Amino acid sequence: MEQPFTLTTEVRDARLIISTSGYVNNVGGEAIANEFQKHYVSGVREVIINLAHSKVVNSVGMSFLIEIIERLSESGGRLIFTNLDPAVEKMLAIMGLFGYAGKEKTVEDALSALSTQS
Amino acid sequence: MKEPVVNTTVVDSATDTAVSLTITLPRIPDIELVALEGLERLARHLGIGEEKIGEARIVVTEAIINALEHAGGAHPSVRVEFTISSGTLVVFVRDRGKGFNPATLEDPVIQKKLGTQSKRGWGMKLMKSLSDDFRIQTGKSGTTITITKRMR
Repeated sequence: MEQPFTLTTEVRDARLIISTSGYVNNVGGEAIANEFQKHYVSGVREVIINLAHSKVVNSVGMSFLIEIIERLSESGGRLIFTNLDPAVEKMLAIMGLFGYAGKEKTVEDALSALSTQS
Repeated sequence: MKEPVVNTTVVDSATDTAVSLTITLPRIPDIELVALEGLERLARHLGIGEEKIGEARIVVTEAIINALEHAGGAHPSVRVEFTISSGTLVVFVRDRGKGFNPATLEDPVIQKKLGTQSKRGWGMKLMKSLSDDFRIQTGKSGTTITITKRMR
């Protein structure tokens, strides 16, 4: 069964990497948004959300990520999702999130993409 | 604490081509994961691929969390039934809530969600988009959602 939600964060070259594990429900989504906010107020505008270890997500959890997209759009920032399970990727596509956020296979790919775009 | 009630039936044990699972879930946090565990075991038993299992996981999760949110009564619960037969998954999710008018539900669009307080409301769209057939029966005594999804 899917494990309880946890997350880890890392900042590399002013880019925030949030890696999750377990079910991204309302609690998980809010935890991601809160972690983002802590770094956003410090000036971070490029964010990678690594969902490699979150195969189960729900729309309530994902709705918190729309808040992150909103904040970054307002401030010229960027969000990239990585390591998406194919079904989760399809879910985010149905929600239209890829019109406002990128997707890459790995965190390293996302860091490269952000470097190229800078 | 209320525990989920589970019944599993192998409909055709000779060929292992059809199985069903019925479960009643009380409204407690993350109880939908119990149903997902059952669904995944049934699907893998029948050799269903991981991508289809992943899509079914999303559909079932949305159906259950939506039903639990609207389930009524002193002890809110929802009844969930899965049947996988000939590569097709049929899911029934029933709550005993007050029902609703599906015509009043607006199709969510990301552009409209940005800049507003309401970021939620994606469940129905996801269930419809990831299934092959989606039906709602709703009334004052509750709502039943029936989802059909080809798994091969």
